[in-house]
Amino acid sequence: MTDTKGPCASELNLYFDNAATSWPKPEEVYRAPEKQMRQACGNPGRSGHTRTLDADRLLYDTREAVANLFNVKDPARIVFTLNATDALNIAIKGCLTSGDHVLYTAMEHNSVLRPLGGLLRDGNISTTMIPCSSKGYPDLGFLETAYQEETRLLVINHASNVTGSIAPLEAMVKSAHKHKVMVLVDAAQTAGSQRIDAAALGIDMIAFTGHKSLLGPTGTGGLYVRPGLDLKPLREGGTGSQSELDRHPESMPERLEAGTLNNAGLAGLLEGLYFIDRTGIETIQEHEKMIRSYLYERLQELPGLKLYGPASDEPASLIVSFTINNTDCGEIGFILENNYGILCRTGLHCAPLAHKAIGTFPEGTVRLSPGYFTTRDDIDYLANALKEITTLIQK
Amino acid sequence: MAYSCYITFPTTFFAIRAESILKKESAVFKMVPVPRSISSSCGTALRCKCEDINSIKDTLLQYELDLEGFYRLKEEGFKTPIVEELDLND
Repeated sequence: MTDTKGPCASELNLYFDNAATSWPKPEEVYRAPEKQMRQACGNPGRSGHTRTLDADRLLYDTREAVANLFNVKDPARIVFTLNATDALNIAIKGCLTSGDHVLYTAMEHNSVLRPLGGLLRDGNISTTMIPCSSKGYPDLGFLETAYQEETRLLVINHASNVTGSIAPLEAMVKSAHKHKVMVLVDAAQTAGSQRIDAAALGIDMIAFTGHKSLLGPTGTGGLYVRPGLDLKPLREGGTGSQSELDRHPESMPERLEAGTLNNAGLAGLLEGLYFIDRTGIETIQEHEKMIRSYLYERLQELPGLKLYGPASDEPASLIVSFTINNTDCGEIGFILENNYGILCRTGLHCAPLAHKAIGTFPEGTVRLSPGYFTTRDDIDYLANALKEITTLIQK
Repeated sequence: MAYSCYITFPTTFFAIRAESILKKESAVFKMVPVPRSISSSCGTALRCKCEDINSIKDTLLQYELDLEGFYRLKEEGFKTPIVEELDLND
């Protein structure tokens, strides 16, 4: 970081890339993986000694904390994965069979588009994209006309990682269920920062990551699968149970988990979940809404800066995307870091169709994603930096 | 000569879920490695007093847990215990 912006800059949180991975984490999240490796380092399910049981308990507590977060009664329905992409692959490839038709929104990330694209190219499935408005909201009228006899799955990006726009989950789940179609929610951007009630909404599957709004380490994530829905496992192997059989156990969660899990990472994730539970998801949601509104309003004043996505009073997660005239986004990102110490992400954000929907393909946008720990002072510093940059570009 | 009762589980998940539920219910039990004389899919079993096994089973079934088997073991030092499989199905 340069010292050109005065002594206060070093005390600010200039990390605006929480949509990629959150930072900072609660202090307990840093400590828990080390403690797990030093004191509870057994392999869950593999032996009967104390350390193994402690590792088993850690997994159970983490499952239960995730189940509570989504208002799920049975923790067995939560399986741990490498990340949200892994969970989406397990869900998509585990629930579809040859000849199925799949609906997805234009805001989907490559973690959905690529698995669907692979199945499509292999001739196994057909797909239809639900277009989205320039603000990033799915066209519900189009959705109603898109169902076919073979439609089996609707994939919904809960909040776009480009615009922050939040899809109307309740209406979309109702629509899909009316047509006897399952719903897979990609909650990569929302698990931990928006209330998601799987039971009340009747969601069939939720894919989530641990290292964004759940404030845990990378390499953690998971999938919720509703009771009664049996997915075909993507991976099979050791589980520590029913070892005499040459087939993978059918009961959840082992059904979708093979091999040793990321226990150290999950220990950190559990602390992230505890932090969210202590803080309250409504408190987090309120703070993030306030920060987004303030950021949006501060940037709105700047000449030549164009904002994309929801306005400050529309449903959105904590993301603001912008461009400045025809200036290269990468260049703006470079100036922000080099001259001001501000970290953000520029380009297409692994969501090419979302950029087509909002009219920023192929150049992309500059994406600012503050987090729960961002303050108004941090936003003021960022807005002042962008004021200087826009003034410079206008000249 | 002492008797102990055991409940076995199809997977570790159910064993740990049983422990978590029973702790909240203040039940008296211990999670132990499955004795060699019992066959089980999962390496961890629940040991309790034989007079408590019915109430523990009922509590676990209320939470819709999958239970694998119920046993009474006559244990004497390091001698191979005498195993009796219990039929606790209602």
